[in-house]
Amino acid sequence: MNAFPGDLAVEPVSNGRLIRRLFGLAWRYRARCVQVLGLQLLLLTLGLSGLSLTGLGIDYISWVLGQRGEVRAVEFPQAKFGLQLPQSWEPLNVLLLIAGCILAFAIVRAVLNFFYTISINRLVQQRLVVDLRGEVYDKLQKLSFRFFDANTTGSIITRVTGDVQAVRMFVDQVMIQSVIMIVSLTIYTVYMASLHPGLTLACLATTPVLALISVAFSRHIQPLYAQSRELVEQMVQHFSESIQGVQVTKAFGREQEDREAFAAKNRAVFDQQKGIFWRVSLFSPTVGFLTRINMIVLLGYGGWLVIHGELPLGTGLVVFAGLLDQFSGQVNQVATLVNSVQQSLVGARRVFEILDAPVDVSDAPGAKARPRLGGNVRFDHVAFSYDRNVEVLQDIELEVKPGQCVAILGATGAGKSSLMSLIPRFYDPTAGRVWVDGIDVRELRIEDLRRAIGIVFQESFLFSNTVAANIAFGHPDATQAQIEKAARVAAAHDFITQLPQGYDTVLGESGNTLSGGQRQRLAIARAVLLEPAILLLDDPTAAIDSETEHEIFEALENAIVGRTTFIVAHRLSTLRRADFIIVMEEGRIVQRGTHAELMRVPGAYLRVADLQLVNREDASALLREKEERL
Amino acid sequence: MKASPDGRRPLSLVQRARDDEPDAEMKPLDLGIVRRLFGYTRASARKRNGLIALTVVRASQLPALAWVSALIIAGPIAGGRTSSLLGWLVGYTVLAISTDALFHFRQRFALEIGEEVVGRMRAEIFDHVSRMPMSFFHRVKLGRILGRVTSDVESLRVGIEHVIFVGIVQLGQMVFAAAVMAFTDWVLFLVVLGLAPVLWVLNDHFRNRLSRDTRAQQESFSRVTATLAESINGIRVTQGFVRQDTNAGLFRGLLADHSRYSMGTARSSAILLPLLELNSQFFVAILLMLGGWQVFSGQVDVGVLITFFLFANQFFAPLQVLGNLYNQALISMAGAERVFQLLDTKPDWEDAPEAVELPDPREKGPANGGPVAADFCGAGVEFRGVSFGYDAARPVLHDVSFTARPGKMVALVGHTGSGKSSIINLVSKFYLPTAGEVLIDGREIRTITGRSLHRQTGMVQQHNFLFAGTVLDNIRFGRPGATEADVRDAVARLGCVDLFDSLPQGLRTVVGERGSGISTGQRQLVCFARALLADPRLLIFDEATSAIDALTEARLQQALLTLLAGRTSFVVAHRLSTIRHADLVLVLDRGRVVERGTHAELLSLKKHYAALHDQFTRMGGA
Repeated sequence: MNAFPGDLAVEPVSNGRLIRRLFGLAWRYRARCVQVLGLQLLLLTLGLSGLSLTGLGIDYISWVLGQRGEVRAVEFPQAKFGLQLPQSWEPLNVLLLIAGCILAFAIVRAVLNFFYTISINRLVQQRLVVDLRGEVYDKLQKLSFRFFDANTTGSIITRVTGDVQAVRMFVDQVMIQSVIMIVSLTIYTVYMASLHPGLTLACLATTPVLALISVAFSRHIQPLYAQSRELVEQMVQHFSESIQGVQVTKAFGREQEDREAFAAKNRAVFDQQKGIFWRVSLFSPTVGFLTRINMIVLLGYGGWLVIHGELPLGTGLVVFAGLLDQFSGQVNQVATLVNSVQQSLVGARRVFEILDAPVDVSDAPGAKARPRLGGNVRFDHVAFSYDRNVEVLQDIELEVKPGQCVAILGATGAGKSSLMSLIPRFYDPTAGRVWVDGIDVRELRIEDLRRAIGIVFQESFLFSNTVAANIAFGHPDATQAQIEKAARVAAAHDFITQLPQGYDTVLGESGNTLSGGQRQRLAIARAVLLEPAILLLDDPTAAIDSETEHEIFEALENAIVGRTTFIVAHRLSTLRRADFIIVMEEGRIVQRGTHAELMRVPGAYLRVADLQLVNREDASALLREKEERL
Repeated sequence: MKASPDGRRPLSLVQRARDDEPDAEMKPLDLGIVRRLFGYTRASARKRNGLIALTVVRASQLPALAWVSALIIAGPIAGGRTSSLLGWLVGYTVLAISTDALFHFRQRFALEIGEEVVGRMRAEIFDHVSRMPMSFFHRVKLGRILGRVTSDVESLRVGIEHVIFVGIVQLGQMVFAAAVMAFTDWVLFLVVLGLAPVLWVLNDHFRNRLSRDTRAQQESFSRVTATLAESINGIRVTQGFVRQDTNAGLFRGLLADHSRYSMGTARSSAILLPLLELNSQFFVAILLMLGGWQVFSGQVDVGVLITFFLFANQFFAPLQVLGNLYNQALISMAGAERVFQLLDTKPDWEDAPEAVELPDPREKGPANGGPVAADFCGAGVEFRGVSFGYDAARPVLHDVSFTARPGKMVALVGHTGSGKSSIINLVSKFYLPTAGEVLIDGREIRTITGRSLHRQTGMVQQHNFLFAGTVLDNIRFGRPGATEADVRDAVARLGCVDLFDSLPQGLRTVVGERGSGISTGQRQLVCFARALLADPRLLIFDEATSAIDALTEARLQQALLTLLAGRTSFVVAHRLSTIRHADLVLVLDRGRVVERGTHAELLSLKKHYAALHDQFTRMGGA
């Protein structure tokens, strides 16, 4: 039990282990990988046949001309694989045969190419990415809130989208690609060597240099690109903030300074990129020239060989040129491959981090099924902390009987929300026990436990979906009648029916924005739809302006009837309604009792009440007024 | 999404909003826009002209290289002339070196010019936007403006770097190759020429299909990310309501849907690329037969054939590239149009050209050696028969008149939509009245510059925006020259030193985009300090409506009194304790001032204010 909730990656995973694990992942799709590789091998062979047939054609023409004595006589061209051109045929028919073969091969190749692209995409897009994303999403939903507090939405989205792509890159762009590269380079080399070993050696002399330069360059330029991305991000961030905070900027008359600050960030982007441009513009001509050296060698040495009859023109030199071209194409891919390895390792690390993150809260083996719970909640010497250093809750003793309402008062950070989050087991206490109906919550099935609890948060998150779907969130099969009933309890039915499409109005579209009070009422409806025995209300009026606050009091009053209720509140009007109140300070319960009891003793509660009763004259005036009216 | 068979609502986590009209992706070429875009390269005209010259040279170098190698094979090699081979090779090498050396400049200049134009454009957009009045920001969504400065400007960069300069090279290469082939053998060239339209049509058809597929794929992906984002933001709800499995099922459905679209795109490109290759093989086959026949009948030399084999690609390859560039050009066009549209948006209004600075009497005082009269500390504000509406059809203020004497506090009270914020917007010259006059220190607000007014204004809003940076930086925002000691002094005057010191890194605590990392109350205090440090004569305070925990609230009240002292202030008040301090309470109802006076006076009227007060006290529990 070293790992604490929310901690990811306790120790860094070595690259070796990561790669082994990625291989394991690929192994799950071995059949498809083999299929893809087989197709690629076939394509490679067919491509070479096309090339050698072209060479054959040229040689045949030269031979025919040589026979006629128009040019130097050359040997009769040899086809590959022991095949023989029919020497007796009409020359034009032979050409027709060769051309026909080229075309036939090309068509087969085109068809195979189609299947190759389809099958690699099936492997990657239909299987790998879908499976992996689904797995990460599943896991995400089970992680504790700590994880979501520690990571921004953007970075989590990236893990499911970009990082998963990086992982699959390991399979199709690293593993498969490197097999293809090794095989094709071998085949090209063997083929070239079979034509002329000396020429092969001479032409390939620059290849290692090329590969080394590419890899070194990409290593060198990657950090610069990363830096550039960061600068651009900062610049865009500044732009975005300037617009979001435009009212502040304008109100203080700071537009000029802001413009200058942006201009500086904008310039920084350019200045940094200039360096990149220089390097890139140095690299690509160098690579281009290195490739051309091959051509010079081929033309010089190869040409000399042809002239001296040691190499045929078509099947020799022309084919060689073609092979060389494809060879350097593959070599140029080495840098891409190396980058892919790096990228996919970074992505894999981030994906596996999520897949490996311990789920802090899960069903205990043999957890008790309790489809209906009564609502007795008891805290027994409970202590809790998010991390080892700071105790958030200390020695909490509390019992709430079914149907009772307890209000919790305390400053920010006093532990109010933490106390409530232990009941549905969003976290487990570090010491002590939380009992519901006399059963330790850790021994209950989480699903049963949470279904018995309705929760309304400070700022309730509503999904961009219809009103009905939002209310029925916890029970997607709810009937319209059930949804409406919940809405009525939450005093939301009236305003919902006045929305453009009533219950089918999609939230978030322009014009369908709800006030804070309306949103909270939907949240209350969502909570009561499940008919929970326990209701947790975490400061439900906090984000609502005082003008619409009264709208939700009716909803709250309806909702808490017959349920064990925990409510975090600041306003006396709410506190007063509770069966009893606990006052929390620094993770401890410092006072408890009814409103009347607490108003009699000096302490935190009375201080707060005093603050809210600042205007005692007004209040007493009001009271007098009311009495007069009566 | 498909409807379920029993006619019930299909289950989904997120439904897409229907009102986000998508931006057009492509626009036809428009010479006006091209010319305007070209204008942005004027600042680096020498580099630009040099670059154009370089591209033209390069356009001839690339085919020249291929030609020379063809000539070498067809000439000395096929003819068996060792002696001339060496000369040719030296020529080839020189050409190769010059080509690659030139490429360095061609690439670097293009990249630099692209970035320069883009940088200039971004700066221009920023300047333009920052000069817009507030109404612009209420109307236009952040995402839209950001889109201009990121993706649109980026598409312009590609347009400049690639379309123009790569386009010239590729086109030149094609023309050169065509000329060489036609010069070598025009019959064979006609065959090449005949295949070109086939290639173009094929490419065009599939390119369109591909871009359609890609769009559908992107759309389905945006459904995936939208659902993902909401799943993450709503994780507390999901776990609280045990919806994990249902959501997982829905998400897998979306993934499967997305993978179908991805396969569609894959299928299109799986057809296009082999077809293009097939086309070039087809050409080889034809060349072999037709060329072979010509050679046999003695019409042409075998060298011609080889030239064509090597050269055809010089002609065909650019065709494909040019097609893609054309597409890119249309995309850049759409981006350019949107950027220029934004740049051409006229502000709803600007400071009148004859507007003058609002003098700050405090600056005069010490210069004259005399002390500043207390009256001068605050600005005088007067509304005379002011009417106003955000759009002409719906006025929100009717004939509002009042006077705020220097140094006095005016509280604005009323229901949502009664016109409180509009009054604030007019006082701070974020908007101009549609009728009537607003006077600051006796000057009509139109005759003074917004900037000089804002320099003497401080504002604390309800939803306080903090810039990413330290608390210190945020407080200093109103007076960038302030030292840390000044900031500490301001904080001390507000009586909140302990609250700031208790932050994880004190004043150096970094706050995020929405001021995350500190509580609502602390955020408010940062804004108080920011306003206090700016030392404005006019203070505008939109009180936070939401509840702040009771202890912090008391500190805020104390700090507020310090902040308001000696300044004219307008407070949109939600707290009784705040209203009680006001020298003048304006009660607003549907855009009219229905009651005015002090708290005590209004209470005794027992009308609007008394009713509001009653509501407040019940709500607040006081």
